[in-house]
Amino acid sequence: MGRRKRLVSSSSSNPQQNNNRQPQQNNNPQQQSPDPPIAPPKWGFIFKLSLFSIPYFYLIFFRFSIDSELRRSIIINAGLSLAGFFVTVRMIPVVSKLLLKRGIYGYDINKKGTPSGKVKVPESLGIVVVTVFSVVVILSQSSNFTANSNRHAVYDTALECISFMTFLGFVDDVLDIPWRVKLVVPSIAALPLLMSYAGHTTIVIPKPLVPHIGIEILDLGWIYKLYMWLLAIFCTNSINIHAGLNGLEVGQTVVITYAILIHNIMQIGALTDPEYKLPHVFSIHLVQPLLATSLALFSYNWYPASVFVGDTYTFFAGMTMAVAGISGHFSETLLIFFLPQVLNFLLSLPQLSGYIPCPRHRLPRFDDQTGLLTGTNDGTLVNFFLRNLGPKSEKSLCIYLLVFQGIACGFGFLLRHFLAGWYK
Amino acid sequence: MGTRKRLVSSSTSEPSSSSNPQQTTQPNNPQQQQQSPDPPIAPPKWGFLLKLSLFSIPYFYLIYFHFSIDSELRRSIIINAGLSLAGFFVTVRMIPVASRYVLKRNLFGYDINKKGTLQGNVKVPESLGIVVGIVFLVVAILFQYFNFTADSNWLVEYNAALACICFMTLLGFVDDVLDVPWRVKLVLPSIAALPLLMAYAGHTTIVIPKPLVPHIGIEILDLGWIYKLYMGLLAVFCTNSINIHAGLNGLEVGQTVVITYAILIHNIMQIGASTDPEYKLAHAFSIYLVQPLLATSLALLSYNWYPSSVFVGDTYTYFAGMTMAVVGILGHFSETLLIFFLPQVLNFLLSLPQLSGYIPCPRHRLPRFDPQTGLLTGTNDGTLVNFFLRNLGPKSEKSLCIYLLIFQGIACCFCFLLRYLLAGWYK
Repeated sequence: MGRRKRLVSSSSSNPQQNNNRQPQQNNNPQQQSPDPPIAPPKWGFIFKLSLFSIPYFYLIFFRFSIDSELRRSIIINAGLSLAGFFVTVRMIPVVSKLLLKRGIYGYDINKKGTPSGKVKVPESLGIVVVTVFSVVVILSQSSNFTANSNRHAVYDTALECISFMTFLGFVDDVLDIPWRVKLVVPSIAALPLLMSYAGHTTIVIPKPLVPHIGIEILDLGWIYKLYMWLLAIFCTNSINIHAGLNGLEVGQTVVITYAILIHNIMQIGALTDPEYKLPHVFSIHLVQPLLATSLALFSYNWYPASVFVGDTYTFFAGMTMAVAGISGHFSETLLIFFLPQVLNFLLSLPQLSGYIPCPRHRLPRFDDQTGLLTGTNDGTLVNFFLRNLGPKSEKSLCIYLLVFQGIACGFGFLLRHFLAGWYK
Repeated sequence: MGTRKRLVSSSTSEPSSSSNPQQTTQPNNPQQQQQSPDPPIAPPKWGFLLKLSLFSIPYFYLIYFHFSIDSELRRSIIINAGLSLAGFFVTVRMIPVASRYVLKRNLFGYDINKKGTLQGNVKVPESLGIVVGIVFLVVAILFQYFNFTADSNWLVEYNAALACICFMTLLGFVDDVLDVPWRVKLVLPSIAALPLLMAYAGHTTIVIPKPLVPHIGIEILDLGWIYKLYMGLLAVFCTNSINIHAGLNGLEVGQTVVITYAILIHNIMQIGASTDPEYKLAHAFSIYLVQPLLATSLALLSYNWYPSSVFVGDTYTYFAGMTMAVVGILGHFSETLLIFFLPQVLNFLLSLPQLSGYIPCPRHRLPRFDPQTGLLTGTNDGTLVNFFLRNLGPKSEKSLCIYLLIFQGIACCFCFLLRYLLAGWYK
């Protein structure tokens, strides 16, 4: 379970050839050779993606008349996120060198047999992302509020959950902890969120169902809190298992966060009650830095990947989106954005539960002659696509999957539009 | 700077003794120990812990008998103590488990202070601070669940505290794994302390000690932003000072245990002596974070005490330093905390010439070990450890550590004495 993101195994690498320690019995022949630097970030790719920011800023500035103070805080946060983007881009190569020195790397399984299959790819670059993200969120928190302590609580809770989750992710990357622990500890990491959630625990019944059920609003009480808790666990782990191709983990996060931002802006524009706007503003303050730092990582991780993201990143991204969805009161919408992850989870259930034997990696099979991936019988969305679309190259398969993610998000918006009375 | 806690170097070990055979495309590694299981680490030193636990008697005496503490507050403290005790047992249980994983991933070192003897060849797992950090956070989060209602003001500060501690522990572990340059090590705690600085809604005034009032002219001085700067520097200082006052088996954890015990006594005494409920809450808040720290640290000490079966790593020293700084700041007793930290301050002052580069600074500033006699001799490096050795003569590692910890205890008592003498210095 829990695929190792095309890691053959990062622990089996040859020992850290570091050159500044006392000479112990060293049997690796490459002791003093400097590691080759990682490939530069893919600026052209990022530039194409940044065109998506145009509709987003159009919505902020023109389409909706958003209260200027709110808009100012969003723009400040966007500015800090942009700075965070550049810092991350700058820091990833630096940290990669340190990671390689310490033997935290893997080989790209989907290139095995080709020359790039022998390149040591540094792992766990999620730590750069989370560090920059946390600093941006902390600074943005300080620039936006005076000592209005109650608002600080929700930021601190978010930071706490996210840091704890990332810490576990990094421990997992380094130590490779068993999957039972990976399930239990996130549930504890999500607790602060539950406790500081002071919002309503009601759900609005979609208009078409009201005549059948008889009530418009249903108060779920503790069941809602249970649902939030499970959502946090689900989000963190689901991104982790929908992985295995260069750029898939970061790519899905980028798509979903973009959808989240559009949703937040539309809610801020459409709602009139300021109390309801605030949760969405908070979500924006968390998600903009996530998107910016993820884009920076994406520029290195997109095919062909020069760095791997590690469980550090997937846990971090999943938890951040869960926190944004729960604190922003749009967790049901978030679940629809997560539709591909849900499908992947359902497809994976037989193997994860042990009903069908579960191999260590459930990745597709790579043919080094043709350079294409072929689907195996494993129950993942990646293999499902390959079985139905035929053998594909890694890059185009990833693009298909990300487009599917985008379609799911679009479907989410469409669904909300039809169930017109479903605004909360 | 930053002694690597008697790490020869965790990375120059023989090639990965990790055992998974599935590395198909591995280069050339003669992995001589590929499938051999690592020997388990030594069991915890229960007798030692039992002796230490006798100290809990005066503590509980103070809680129950000496002061009449509000029963609800007392109940919360006892619940927290219970959770901390559970955390202690979980930590004791988990350290050997984590050690196996850590060894598998080559995060270990050799004990420099045993080089030349048989024990100098044993691979000692590093960074066991992660177990302490994780159990501490779990206990703290669960306690929050049992104790605070959803809109208490203290929830805000508690969350800020946990956010700082969490982030700092993460950075500490990153440092252990990646070996971050020391300039970065200085900056990291100040970043991790930011949530705290912003959530700090307390006064930024200091009370001038009574004897000085006639000279200065005012009783209370409002420092404003300077106070916040001081808080940030305190966080940097606490985390790094424990890090450099290290190098002997059990020294880092031992000093933390002594200081946390003193903090708890101080908190209880303040709760008992004061009448202001907000003030009591501040100290109760400190107790809620320090009890778990003490309990999990004791669990770690049972393995780390001489002779060490595990090393604590920067993860632990950062985590402990930050937790103590956080409680000192939020509990409003940071000046008292600084006096508890007197040995660390002295060590820092002694280290300044070398840290600033004025005198050349070697990679390790540890004393010299003689495998024949088994004693440590002081070098000319500027650390408290070497200072003690130069003045007391060669000592065994264990007795030197005991001397240093007693000195730590004396510094804490000195602080209590000072507060008693400057009788009007209560805040």
